[in-house]
Amino acid sequence: MVLQDGKVSQAQQVCLYGAGIRSVRGTETGYAYTMDLSEEGLKKAAKSLKAPSPLPLWGSASMQTPLFSGFEALPQRGSGEGAYRFLLDVEAKAYALDASIVKVKAYISQRMQEVQYAATDGTAFHDFRPRSSLSVSIVMERGGKTQMGYATRMMQMGKEFFTDALIDEVVREAIQRTDFLFSASQIEGGEMPVVMAAGSSGILLHEAIGHAFEADFIRTGDSIFTGKLGQQICHPSISIVDDGTLPDDAGMLRYDDEGVPGQRTILVHEGKLNSYLYDRINAKHFGVKPTGNGRRESFRCTPIPRMRSTYMLPGEAKEEDIIRSVKRGIYAQSFTNGQVQIGAGDFTFFMKTGYLIEDGRLTQPLRDLNIIGNGPEALRRISMVGDNLRIDHSASMCGKEGQKVAVSQGLPTVLIDKLIVG
Amino acid sequence: MDNGQSIIYHAEQDILKLPAKLDYKLVLLENHEDNIVLRDGKVEKMLRATSLSLAINLYLDGRDGFFYTNDLRPESVSNFIKTAFETTRLLEPDETRTLADPSRYYKGDGPDLLNFDASLSEIDPQEKIRLLKETAAEVEGTDKRIISMQTRYADRQHEAHYLISNGFDACEQSSYCTLTSIVTVEGEGGQHPMDGWGESRIFFRQMPRGGVARTALERTLRKIGQRPAPSGRYRMILESPCAGNFLQPILNAMNGQALQQRSSFLAGKLGEQVVSPLVNIIDDPLQPGTRGASLFDYDGVATQRRELFTEGRLMTYFIDTPMSKKLGMAPTTQGIHRLIMESTAPSPLPLWGSATKPLYNGCENEAHPQRGSGEGAATILVTDFNGGNCDPVTGNFSYGIEGFLLENGNILQPVSGMNITGNILDVWQRLSHVDGDADPWETEVIPSLTFEDVAFGGC
Repeated sequence: MVLQDGKVSQAQQVCLYGAGIRSVRGTETGYAYTMDLSEEGLKKAAKSLKAPSPLPLWGSASMQTPLFSGFEALPQRGSGEGAYRFLLDVEAKAYALDASIVKVKAYISQRMQEVQYAATDGTAFHDFRPRSSLSVSIVMERGGKTQMGYATRMMQMGKEFFTDALIDEVVREAIQRTDFLFSASQIEGGEMPVVMAAGSSGILLHEAIGHAFEADFIRTGDSIFTGKLGQQICHPSISIVDDGTLPDDAGMLRYDDEGVPGQRTILVHEGKLNSYLYDRINAKHFGVKPTGNGRRESFRCTPIPRMRSTYMLPGEAKEEDIIRSVKRGIYAQSFTNGQVQIGAGDFTFFMKTGYLIEDGRLTQPLRDLNIIGNGPEALRRISMVGDNLRIDHSASMCGKEGQKVAVSQGLPTVLIDKLIVG
Repeated sequence: MDNGQSIIYHAEQDILKLPAKLDYKLVLLENHEDNIVLRDGKVEKMLRATSLSLAINLYLDGRDGFFYTNDLRPESVSNFIKTAFETTRLLEPDETRTLADPSRYYKGDGPDLLNFDASLSEIDPQEKIRLLKETAAEVEGTDKRIISMQTRYADRQHEAHYLISNGFDACEQSSYCTLTSIVTVEGEGGQHPMDGWGESRIFFRQMPRGGVARTALERTLRKIGQRPAPSGRYRMILESPCAGNFLQPILNAMNGQALQQRSSFLAGKLGEQVVSPLVNIIDDPLQPGTRGASLFDYDGVATQRRELFTEGRLMTYFIDTPMSKKLGMAPTTQGIHRLIMESTAPSPLPLWGSATKPLYNGCENEAHPQRGSGEGAATILVTDFNGGNCDPVTGNFSYGIEGFLLENGNILQPVSGMNITGNILDVWQRLSHVDGDADPWETEVIPSLTFEDVAFGGC
């Protein structure tokens, strides 16, 4: 449901329904999907692949009992608690907090994905995966100038996600970001030290190493981290995990889309490359166990290695000491988007807000800077790790091969000695 | 769409049974697709699929709900429409949210756009695999530096049946097929440079035989040794395949929603010269045999040739029916169908690689003033963007780029890890040349572009 111009006058509902059947031989995959879930429909889809039918497992005990069924959606319009009322409360909160706001747009999204899975190896499960999100964008006008900012949250929750505390948190963040833009500016680009603030700076890990650790890119040799398993790739104070077990997190999985239990995978242990992110096909190719990273957007897509919640474990430094150590550099605070070139390892992420650091102090507010680095180099250049790990729960969708899946990321404050800022 | 006909009319009957009179738009979508990936001479992935889905817009006294389902069993559709109606009824009225004026609808008098290959889904998959194998064979074993090569064939037949309650009932069809190769090679310092090339057509018989994989390999090899160039102000040549990315923030700012939400740097600038007088851009959806051609938009409104920029002046915004009412402006169109930027080059030189054109020869000792020689300006040829963003309110941007540093028309070094920064309208004011090398098979036909005095951030 969408609130715009003071009215909740738009709504969308989407129902997607179907089954996908995959046949695998080595690393070769055949895939078909159908919207006909009858026994006949499934047999027909399997036959098109010349694949054995998974039907003997369909309806097995594992598939009868859902792993999770506690989802209750926020009603669209209830007595004082529905989505309609919630959106009006978001708008009222925003206008109450800042008189220079001229536009508030907010939308809430609730999704329930029901998954039933059966494979010829005997694996089967039945799960419900809820997902709720809130997005608030604010337009402010001051002295003839206009600025726009936004904030989002996304969790695997039902109606319990939509609280007054959430409204307060997200609206304040959207206002703070928009307000910041009036005084912020861009700077002349160049190489300089970058302090990544705790939280959404986890995009560094997602872009700089996460994608390049996905085992399909390792198998084909495309990734710059190919062949580096067990090698020291950064300072021993650095450990990085990809975690499918964080409760309610957008990247949490009880089972992945190949029937592998959700788990926490240590990618980098004390500076050494410990594991890649494996789906079943690539795990089999390398003779290792899958790590539960086989994910897909919907029944129309084949599972491929994807991240879940990727974050760096906390170190010992205090954030103020990290900032104090920088003569001239950037303190990067919030981000919008990023991407990576898997082979070269070059990554970018777009800093929406931050500060210039001069003589160890935050000075000029900055905005709209693209930060560029090379994954392995950037890792090697991390010289300080803070003690303040924060997982960011902004709505974050990761794209690969045309498929989008929900992820999260986190980082303690870190210092990277040199990146290109522009 | 025979099965689809019954579904859409069945859905209409369900809507007519609802306990209130309401307007509606129904769109039945049917897609057939093939997607085949070849790696190391073997088919790595193969997908064949047909999908059918129904999109429903309900309009009830200014309330507007959008609903989409692919569960098209009659009982499911009936129940879905009942739920959709209940949801729509809960909304707050907004008198701007209505169907388009029926006088603007397409009247069925347009030409055959020749943009649908009816045989596409009937072609034996083995023929598509043969095309893939021929393509891959161009480069297999030709260079020891190749680490991996993926070649992909994809096609789609798209059919849509529109049924709108105030007098529109029409079907449209389109198709495309694409062939792409992505090559990774052993680079310097453990890097694995990767690049690709692709070609798209409407009909399978038009697909190029040869050139795609070779172009992909050559584009990849020339990236070996990429590193940042020194920060500074350079002449920038944007290679045609990526030039559209640099136009996109301007097109976004022309959107009625952005204007109405006060988040457009083009607000209030209609008719003004906002970019270089060299900029002449049209949207021409009515050229038969081109990708993006369409007789009507998603609202059923007849498309027309439309000037977007004439000698740098902003000629239109993209205003749909609700935004027209909110902004008090005449409606235009929902968006772009086939964008064409006119060339200023009297005798265009091909600058970019293509299966059907010579590969990248624009910088080899050419005394062309716009190719980085002749005027002494240091030049960077940008061949791709790497991240970045543009603020929709101010137009200030920062984009990562890669390409080549040029001197006197020759390549000095491949570059990456650099940013370009500035204000998007300011930089577009400094456009000095529009080449003539655009790929006519793209939906955005934008040639290579030269901009003066652009700020690059590097080492």
